[in-house]
Amino acid sequence: MFGSAIRNIIIKNAQNAAKFKAIGAQCRHLRSNRSTQSEADTLKPIDLTTKPNDKELEPTPQDSSAVALDFGNREAHVPSFNLAAYVNNSSTLQHLVSLGVDLHSIERRKGLGEFVLRLDFEKNIKPCLSFLADQGIAPDDFGRMITKNPLLFKEDIDDLQTRVEYLKSKRFSDEAIQRIFTQNPFWLMFSTKRVNRRLGYFQKEFHLSGHDLRLMATKEPNLITYKMEHLRKSVFTLREEMGFNAKELQSLIVRKPRLMMIPPDDLVERFSYIHKGMGLPHSQIVQCAELLASREFRLRERHEFLKLLGRAQYDPQKDLYISPRTIVQGNNFYFVRNVAKSDLETFDLFLKTR
Amino acid sequence: MALTKVYDAATVFRHLNGVLNVYKPAGMKVGHVRSAVLSNICKGLNEMKQREPRKLPENTQLLGTGTAADSVLHNIAKNVDLSDDILCTGPRYMPDDIRCATVASLGHHTSGVLLFGINKGLRQSSRIQKNRPVRVYHVTGRMGTATENHLPDSRITARSNHKHISAERISGLAASMQASHQRKMYELCGVDLQTQAAYELACKGLIRPADNSLPVIYGIKLIYFERPHFTLEVHAINETQEYLTALVHDMALELRTVAHCSQLRCIRHAHFDVTDSLLRHGWHLPGIVKNLRQQQEILRAHPQMLEQERIELHA
Repeated sequence: MFGSAIRNIIIKNAQNAAKFKAIGAQCRHLRSNRSTQSEADTLKPIDLTTKPNDKELEPTPQDSSAVALDFGNREAHVPSFNLAAYVNNSSTLQHLVSLGVDLHSIERRKGLGEFVLRLDFEKNIKPCLSFLADQGIAPDDFGRMITKNPLLFKEDIDDLQTRVEYLKSKRFSDEAIQRIFTQNPFWLMFSTKRVNRRLGYFQKEFHLSGHDLRLMATKEPNLITYKMEHLRKSVFTLREEMGFNAKELQSLIVRKPRLMMIPPDDLVERFSYIHKGMGLPHSQIVQCAELLASREFRLRERHEFLKLLGRAQYDPQKDLYISPRTIVQGNNFYFVRNVAKSDLETFDLFLKTR
Repeated sequence: MALTKVYDAATVFRHLNGVLNVYKPAGMKVGHVRSAVLSNICKGLNEMKQREPRKLPENTQLLGTGTAADSVLHNIAKNVDLSDDILCTGPRYMPDDIRCATVASLGHHTSGVLLFGINKGLRQSSRIQKNRPVRVYHVTGRMGTATENHLPDSRITARSNHKHISAERISGLAASMQASHQRKMYELCGVDLQTQAAYELACKGLIRPADNSLPVIYGIKLIYFERPHFTLEVHAINETQEYLTALVHDMALELRTVAHCSQLRCIRHAHFDVTDSLLRHGWHLPGIVKNLRQQQEILRAHPQMLEQERIELHA
């Protein structure tokens, strides 16, 4: 009886081409069908009723934008907001979960949920993973990498191989390559031409030696695939607004490549506090690039606390020198005990006066 | 009762009710503080022991191929509902799961005590809000320059000399302003000052406003003076940051000079003091739970904060 009802609906569906409505109704029927039957504890009738559906449902994936082929008959056309609904019936998704892939974070990004559903573990995923394993990447990192960039499976293995070969030809060590890929899985999506152009940009912009360039790219692999527009802005800020000369800039960005990924407005704010508030010259800021990487309120709190104690003395020529680098190290407890040589209660009281 | 360590996130979440006293840093919006606190709570909860994924119902149909290598069969044999796994559903606790509201907001440049009602504490927090308790501020003014919005980060509009200002003159002005504000307080009550009703009200002492439309100041006192800075202690209800900065500006004009507000700090909100408030490095789950308990004790010691029937002001 239910089967015939569904058939009627499907025929109507084909005539009207009102896909979604029909699919919804169909699911509802299927669901009610299943629930009533399973309550009755009869397994055989379920098979009987689902099999005829199967035949009729097969053509639909081709004409509608097919969601997936992998999971069971029942769930195939149930619309869902998340991947969790499909996990119990899809071995691909189960494999991904066992790798530690965070499906929840994938489905929040546009189009990726559908992409992951279409994947087949044996066909799409396995070659890619074995390729990554061949590069010496630890299997523990697969989950994080795929979570960050599931589109990795879209790439051709030969292309990936070429990209690795390119890095090797640029004399990146194996450890560097592993670090680059685990830290920034998007790197593998970039064509060799594009990566080459980017590396060339940095080398020319800062007159870096090959060794320094490799060091920088390995330290912060995200930098190479970052938005070019943003990088240009940051370089402008560092060079023109803050007035670091070529030599200083070079050592600054090799020490702390992350500076170029920080929003320029924040960077200027920090710089002006360090330069004007704390009175450190450019040469000393270059020595401790960590200062620029620390948030402004943190610097301000700690510097003013030191000033209150009379210990804010950053000139290495004089007595009671405190290295600016140690100011931004560690948590507040570490700072108060080891740098300020005070106690946390005093620091708390100080913070509550401002 | 013996104290036991709790490792279970659900237990902690169940007991995450009450009023939270947070020290808001200057230059950080209240919404920003709120989201930071909530996300830290969630981070803490998600690091604790989580509930296991649900079990599947007994006779779920196996849709896999049925071979030994097939992981579908494997998983269902364990009867674990994978769709309830953390990797599929996302973290168990998210900031939206926690209900949270401020008792009274603070401006962008104001630092100090900020009260949040969390989960079931929302009831208490809204009650505190309706009772309109007094807030105490330390407002620091800087004489010599006036700025556009009376705060240090905007453009300077005027400069003037402040040699003639002394602590006595500021104190005198503060006292006279306090008197005129108290007079205004009776006027806001809606009674004629020349009536018996007004006399009876005045006998009871200071009174509170009924709604939150108009700011009322109960006391202004000079507590610190070192040219060019001076600090006032202001007791007020329904005040805003703009109101306090304008107050400093107007006082300076009275004193024949100009000034802007260099610091605003809320040191007390009803009985919730700045000494108990939670600093930024304490905004983690253990700190927050401890703070909730402390504020609970304060509320228990002063039950009149939750239910006041009388019109006159206390605490």
